[in-house]
Amino acid sequence: MSTATATKGTQTAARVADAVKVYGSGDTAVRALDGVSVTFPAGRFTAIMGPSGSGKSTLMHCAAGLDTLTSGAAFIGDTELSRLDDRRLTLLRRDRIGFVFQAFNLVPTLTVAENITLPMDLAGGRGDGSSGEWIDALVDVVGLRDRLHHRPSELSGGQQQRVAVARAFAGQPDVVFADEPTGNLDSRSGEEVLNLLGRAVRQMDRTVVMVTHDPVAAAHADEVVFLADGRLVDRMESPTADKVLDRMKAFDSKGAPS
Amino acid sequence: MNASVRISASSLRAHKRRFAGTFLAVLLGVAFLAGTLVMGDTLRASFDTMFGNATSGTDAVVRSANTITTPGESQGVRQPVDTDLVTAIEKAPGVAAAVPDIQGAGQLIGADGDPIGGAGPPTLAGNWIDDTKLNAYQLAEGRAPSKSGEVVVNRGAAEQGDLKIGDTTTLRTPDPVKVTIVGLATFGGEDGMAQVTYTGMTQADAEKYLTAKPGEAASILVRAGPGTGERELVDALTPVLPKGVEAITGQELAAENTDMISGQFLTLFTTFLLVFSGVALLVATFSIHNTFAIVVAQRTRENALLRALGASRRQVTASTLVEASVVAVTASAAGLAGGIGIAAGLQALFPAIGFPFPEGDLVISGLSMLLPLAVGIVVCLGSALLPAVRAGRTAPLAALRETAVDQSGASRTRAVVGTGLAALAVAITLTGVIVSPSLWLAGSGAILALAAFVVLGPVASTTAVRVLGSPLDRLRGVTGGLARRNALRSPKRTAATASALMIGVAVVSLFTVFGASLKATMDQTVARSFAGDVAVSTPSFGAGGSGLSPKLAPAIAERPEVGTAVGLGRGVAEVDGKGRALTVTDPVALERTFDLGDVQGSMRDLGTDGIAITENEADKQGLKTGDTAQLAFTDGEKETFTVRAVYGQSELAGDYVITRDAWAPHRTQDSDTLVAVSFKDGVSAADGKAAVEKAAAAYGNPEVQTRDEYAQSAAGGIDMMLTLVYALLALAVLIALLGIANTLTLAVHERTRELGLLRAVGQTRSQLRAMVRWESVLVAAFGTVGGLALGGFLGWVLVKASDGASDSAFAFAVPPVQLAVVALVGLAAGALAGWRPARRAARLDVLRAIATE
Repeated sequence: MSTATATKGTQTAARVADAVKVYGSGDTAVRALDGVSVTFPAGRFTAIMGPSGSGKSTLMHCAAGLDTLTSGAAFIGDTELSRLDDRRLTLLRRDRIGFVFQAFNLVPTLTVAENITLPMDLAGGRGDGSSGEWIDALVDVVGLRDRLHHRPSELSGGQQQRVAVARAFAGQPDVVFADEPTGNLDSRSGEEVLNLLGRAVRQMDRTVVMVTHDPVAAAHADEVVFLADGRLVDRMESPTADKVLDRMKAFDSKGAPS
Repeated sequence: MNASVRISASSLRAHKRRFAGTFLAVLLGVAFLAGTLVMGDTLRASFDTMFGNATSGTDAVVRSANTITTPGESQGVRQPVDTDLVTAIEKAPGVAAAVPDIQGAGQLIGADGDPIGGAGPPTLAGNWIDDTKLNAYQLAEGRAPSKSGEVVVNRGAAEQGDLKIGDTTTLRTPDPVKVTIVGLATFGGEDGMAQVTYTGMTQADAEKYLTAKPGEAASILVRAGPGTGERELVDALTPVLPKGVEAITGQELAAENTDMISGQFLTLFTTFLLVFSGVALLVATFSIHNTFAIVVAQRTRENALLRALGASRRQVTASTLVEASVVAVTASAAGLAGGIGIAAGLQALFPAIGFPFPEGDLVISGLSMLLPLAVGIVVCLGSALLPAVRAGRTAPLAALRETAVDQSGASRTRAVVGTGLAALAVAITLTGVIVSPSLWLAGSGAILALAAFVVLGPVASTTAVRVLGSPLDRLRGVTGGLARRNALRSPKRTAATASALMIGVAVVSLFTVFGASLKATMDQTVARSFAGDVAVSTPSFGAGGSGLSPKLAPAIAERPEVGTAVGLGRGVAEVDGKGRALTVTDPVALERTFDLGDVQGSMRDLGTDGIAITENEADKQGLKTGDTAQLAFTDGEKETFTVRAVYGQSELAGDYVITRDAWAPHRTQDSDTLVAVSFKDGVSAADGKAAVEKAAAAYGNPEVQTRDEYAQSAAGGIDMMLTLVYALLALAVLIALLGIANTLTLAVHERTRELGLLRAVGQTRSQLRAMVRWESVLVAAFGTVGGLALGGFLGWVLVKASDGASDSAFAFAVPPVQLAVVALVGLAAGALAGWRPARRAARLDVLRAIATE
């Protein structure tokens, strides 16, 4: 499996093409994704926004190999996910993708340090020199050096999410998917986490795709894609919270489902 | 329907799987218990019918009133009656017929040259009684024996030995007698009385081969004329009988026989089984308690919500208890059905593997249904009581907190109480074993030790799992590390799960150690006191056929390779009013083939009025050489013997030795149980053994064993017993494993989100499965190691206590190979228990797992 990373903005870290996801069947069928094509360029921070039920989480799950598309294709780099069996998909997630979830990001029995290196430990690697340095730097960036041997239950919610961010970047993945990473945090902690994601992209040349419904969070991204009713409806470069909020209000005024 | 019931009903419906393990545990325990009781009743009824059949035509039995029972024997030895009495009896009013009934042991040799039966049920021989009513056997084919050498055998025995009417074979009485089969008999329509073999000969032959002298019979069977009842007949007979002879009714005899079987064999058998069903139920208690404790913990939020909404403590407690009751009642009821199935299965199985169980319909009494039902319900409800009370105590506020996983366990109180208990247990046990040997003290100590282990479990589990699991990190990387930490998560839960297995493994190791010690003792005994080269013996288990011919030893002694051959027979007499087993032998030869230790006096000239006794008995009776002791024999004779020798070691030679000449006047059927042979100098073991075998061939081919073989065969019964014990304990271990599987399933359910996270960040399915399985193995390892330690300790206690309680020395042996096998089986079983939870965990859908609240 190629671990050659796409470092230039022109390269693609992940993309979906004509993605359709249908839940259920017959009368109760719901089209969560209805023909979405979107590219997440490497080295960029992309936010996916949309009202509840717009399909933004489904899009992220399918793009990250956590869920499968009903039709269409999802790629990580050049790898088409639908061609992979469960095992290969798992290995792909482990080696090439990082995750930050809204909550419950950490294994409670492992220490902070162990949680950070979990994907690499699962791969069986003992961490060569370069990854050791990288993680060392990462620990300083997220500011958890004095917490390395604590258990997640001894950390605040914000600290836990910062550990999750460190874990997500530890393996230097092609792309990090973050699903409402600030959803459970107060605004200050949320800000810290978002700053971390932003620094990772801009200073360390990583790629982040974040699902959020919070315009303030979306404003940290380089670009925002808007989803409604399972379709890609808009894109916005260099977003600000106000611009995003206005755009979101437009959905509401059109009577989009909430 | 009130609220508690409604809540528990919906909870049961929603979480059927959670209770599957509990259900199975109760079901298995109850089934075992019910099966044991039903089988006990069925066997009792079958024996009842059997003995009823045997005496159905007999209205009264005249026999000697005295028996001598030696310690460890179920049936006393009864003096024979004089057959001359028949004439007097026939003259008594109401008597239609009276015949002597001669009973002895006679083992038939089958067509292939091997003895028939003899490994358990008796091999009987007697006089064929022509009166069809008085004879328990009925002629099915052929005719009755009419001249010497003709016999009737029961059809079952004939089939077993492939013998037909007209065949000639050998009957070991134990002197080999050439017999021709002229008839086949049935017993109550069956091919035999269970697996008992029977040979009926003419009265003259029976007197010649089965009694010490003509004119003696075991009893006289009497049939009443028309209009005379059994009781009347006995009343009419009593006046004509001499002193020391009694008459009882046929029914009384049947009842006596049944009681004897029930009292000795059946009671032992059912008690044995009940103990093991008790172990299984005890193990089940742990599993059930654990399941409910976990379920209640997992339901904290739900219960808290109920409390917040206004449910009283009582209602919350009740709803858990109602759940437990439903499981208890359905599982117990299913267990009853299972128990009946087990009994029916065993009834069909036992004859197939040669166990002597009579046939008959299953007897299902009220007690054998109600008792297991009650026990099942009590065990289940009792186990759920504490968790239910805890559920009731849930604070309404808990609804608002994160689901709390029970972290408690290693509390200081627990450690202190547990250590105290353990210290007390060891102190009491050691007192009972070393200071003042007492089985009672040792037993209480053992139970306390068990309690201490259970109390200390959660304290020990943290350290134990950490130590046992330490290789896992290295071997299995993060998967192993996660497994280890998962096992450490809730020390209380891990301990409770492991405790169930610990008890099972402890009992297994206890028996393994005890069995090995018995064998070692046997080896030691033979090595120490058997100075000969080979032994000729009959099977040590059961009635042992008809024994060895007393002519065998002299025949072997005639061989040029043989230096000494001494036969040991068995006699009984009362010494000081207590039944004692006598060793009847040639004392001079005995001294040459057995190491008797220090001998004071001389074994040389016991004569007909001398006796040799062990030091031990001599001390007990206060006898020394030159003293006299009165021996009362079964024929009512009392004789005074002089103690001519006191010897040190009793083990194989027995406690009392008299000469053949002294025993001859009082003996019944003459037989030896063991012939010990030493070769002349320079004779090789193989040559000597071949020579002995050649000599023995003419005496029905008894087995010739070297010293080692003899020691092993003497221990053969132990292996059989152990196999049975292992089979019975398999159930308890199975229940323990169900407990582990159940706990894991619940844990997997509890950790759904965490498992989803692990999968999301790259744990493969096989890594996840391995993680759950390793956790299972770790819990099992903890239980197994604890069980081995506890079982080893209890085994040592049992051996030492037995040593203290008995005269002969007990050796303590730890069988490393067997215990290693027990450990491996425990670990493998752990992996097996984790199989299904692991598969379920691996099947979790990643997304759903992450989304689970």
